[in-house]
Amino acid sequence: MSASESQIFIVDDDDAIRDALGWLFRSRGHAVRTWPSAEALLDSGEIAHCGCLVLDIRMDGMSGLELFGWLREHSHTLPVIFLTGHGDVPMAVDAIKQGAFDFVEKPFNDNELVDRALAALAMHRQQVSKRAALQAIEERVAQLTQREIEVMERVLAGQMNKVIASDLGVTMRTVEVHRARIFEKMGVRSAVELAQVLATRK
Amino acid sequence: MNTVPTLTPPLHAPASGPGWYWIVPRVAVALFLVAIGALVWWLHRNDLDEQRATLINDVLWMEQDLRFHLDRNAEQMAQIGRDAGDRRLDPQVLDARLRSLIANGHGLLKIDTLHATDLTDGELSGPARLSGSTGRAVYLPPERTPDGDVHFDVLVPLGGDLGWMLGRYSIAQMLSQSVPWWFAERYKLDVIDNTETVLASKSKVAAEHDELNYALAFDPPGHGLRLRVTAYRSDTRLLPALLVVTIVGLALTMLWSLWALRRHLVRRLAAEQALREEHSFRTAMEDSLIIGLRARDLSGRITHVNPAFCRMVGWSAEELMAMTPPMPYWAPEAAEHIRALHDGILAGGAMSHGAMELKFVRRDGQRFDVLISEAPLMDARGRHVGWMSSVLDITERKQAEELYRQQQEKLQFTGRLITMGEMASTLAHELNQPLSAIASYSTACLNMVEHGTGTLSDLQEPLAKMSSQAKRAGTIIRRVHEFVRRSEPKRMPCSLNDVVDEALGLIEADARKRDIRISSSLAGGLPDIHADRVMIEQVLLNLIRNGMDAMAGCAPERRRLLIQTGADAEGVQVSVRDNGGGIPPEVADKLFAPFFTTKPDGMGMGLNICRSIVELHHGRLWFEAAEGGGTVFILKLPAGGAAP
Repeated sequence: MSASESQIFIVDDDDAIRDALGWLFRSRGHAVRTWPSAEALLDSGEIAHCGCLVLDIRMDGMSGLELFGWLREHSHTLPVIFLTGHGDVPMAVDAIKQGAFDFVEKPFNDNELVDRALAALAMHRQQVSKRAALQAIEERVAQLTQREIEVMERVLAGQMNKVIASDLGVTMRTVEVHRARIFEKMGVRSAVELAQVLATRK
Repeated sequence: MNTVPTLTPPLHAPASGPGWYWIVPRVAVALFLVAIGALVWWLHRNDLDEQRATLINDVLWMEQDLRFHLDRNAEQMAQIGRDAGDRRLDPQVLDARLRSLIANGHGLLKIDTLHATDLTDGELSGPARLSGSTGRAVYLPPERTPDGDVHFDVLVPLGGDLGWMLGRYSIAQMLSQSVPWWFAERYKLDVIDNTETVLASKSKVAAEHDELNYALAFDPPGHGLRLRVTAYRSDTRLLPALLVVTIVGLALTMLWSLWALRRHLVRRLAAEQALREEHSFRTAMEDSLIIGLRARDLSGRITHVNPAFCRMVGWSAEELMAMTPPMPYWAPEAAEHIRALHDGILAGGAMSHGAMELKFVRRDGQRFDVLISEAPLMDARGRHVGWMSSVLDITERKQAEELYRQQQEKLQFTGRLITMGEMASTLAHELNQPLSAIASYSTACLNMVEHGTGTLSDLQEPLAKMSSQAKRAGTIIRRVHEFVRRSEPKRMPCSLNDVVDEALGLIEADARKRDIRISSSLAGGLPDIHADRVMIEQVLLNLIRNGMDAMAGCAPERRRLLIQTGADAEGVQVSVRDNGGGIPPEVADKLFAPFFTTKPDGMGMGLNICRSIVELHHGRLWFEAAEGGGTVFILKLPAGGAAP
């Protein structure tokens, strides 16, 4: 799954709102997918492709808040923007405290909503790509042997090969081989680059 | 305090114990019995004495009779003897006279003539000489004959040489011939000698009675003989016996009646005791009642009150009983009303009243509400003697009711608020949906136009959708309208004055409670208005309530509300004028705006709705500052059946 694949999803039980928001987002050059209910979205199994969820807080059946709760339970971190009606503001504030991205009160300033949704989408995409990069580093680190990790830690600490060799009780030559293998496995060309890659991990 | 003087006399406690007055009758009865006994004994004694006297009389008479016979016999014998001697009577004549004498001789058995020559017998010579010398008859000692009879002889001297006559008597015969029948009937007559031996007896049966007897010397013949008379048991004499029986009977009757009287007294005392206990029990019950009781006579004067009533009003029973209407415990503001009820009851209308709620005032001036039930008071003979009232202090109950009513009103008010809030919220949500959609479509169109991303035909679809959403919003609005139209006014011709009167009737209690005086000045001959009278009434009530609220902080004498009706060329009008603080200019502009209120628990809908109602009726509602402070609200409606 690539980060750019994720889309804005709209869940609202009012057909007109759904359609109008579709037009709105398209007018700004963004395709959105709309769902008439929370259940329809969950049943489709496409929740993983969602990068920003615009959610009506009040709906028949599963409400927006319930869907939000379900997502939190299932460790979905996607940003959620709530659409609230008159008098639902306290509910929406609660949702923000629980980690919702934002809420917009109806009737809303439409372009602002689009902006917020795009911001949320961007943030999500960033998060996703960041997570992917980290995952790649971890995968590379996992390929290292125990001895290689020991050597890498000393290289990152700025120790000379000579010092490392005497520390580990091996020859300078062996250290050099290890070092070359580490650079190869981690996909870097220098110790500085290695430090940069590993810095994102911390 | 707790007695009913006109109905039952008070009961006095009894004298301590039976006391002296029980001793007197007992002593008297004992003395009476003794006296009666004494009287009977005395009568008996008297009777016995009398009988004895009679006995003695009879005995004396008997003795004299016997002596008379003996003496006469002796004389006759002497006569016959002398005649025989002197004239030489023919022996036959002599014999005939002797026989005749013996026959009538009262016991004379035989007569012999003795001459001196015959007196050889020594036994006769002594007495013969004695009789000869004295010239009197001499009786010889009695002799008992072999057949048991006792004889005695008498020697009668004839004088000279003529000798003596010797008569022989049989005592038994003498008794049988001389004692008359009536004597023998009543007495037993014995002849006894010195040794108390009965020589002869004239009797049928033996007398058992030896109390009444009497003995006296039987001389002649003398020689120690005595007559002893013993009375037979006398026949009970009727009169004294009857008297005694009567006396005893009366005494017994008296004793019985005394006993009966005593029994009656004891019962009566027990009944009195029971009555007293019952009375004190009833008094205690009445005293412990918390319901006041009041009895009045037919003229309305109080004849009885219980302590609860006294506690309620604060006057003592004595003070209350001395009072005449109007009673001081009638609240002055309600006195006229109470007086009318009072007179109505006295006129006999108690039954129709049932329980009445009145306002009373305590002696210290505190007002309290009472519930009074009146019932006619009948005495033991079923005569109507007055009226009985039970008086229940219902102040607390009324306060509780009032509190409940206020809470209920508050609750309703809150309920209305909630309902209104929900309705507003639903309406807002319903309208929000199409509005949001329209906003989104329009923004989308704008975006397309701005960025030049869409052609005119591209804009067609969202614009069409926009218009359909606008229609949707219109439908919602129309639905609300239809809902409102269901409560459209139902107009009928009616009199504005009637509507004002009705509104005044409804608000009266509230005004009294808030110590506000409402006066009305209604113009006569007003043309009818064509209106929903309930709605107009609501408008009026709202205006009056506002006026009263405006005067809540005023001094009591300023709390006056004036309601006037009138008519002019434009139509009829009613004005509600208060003496409150007036309306400040910054408030005046917003007064009819919805959701504007100056009251802490107001909704801000009152005047707004009022104006809407008035406008529905093609009328006008406005206000002006009143002279001397306060505000006057004027409601003007077209006269007659104005076109709807």
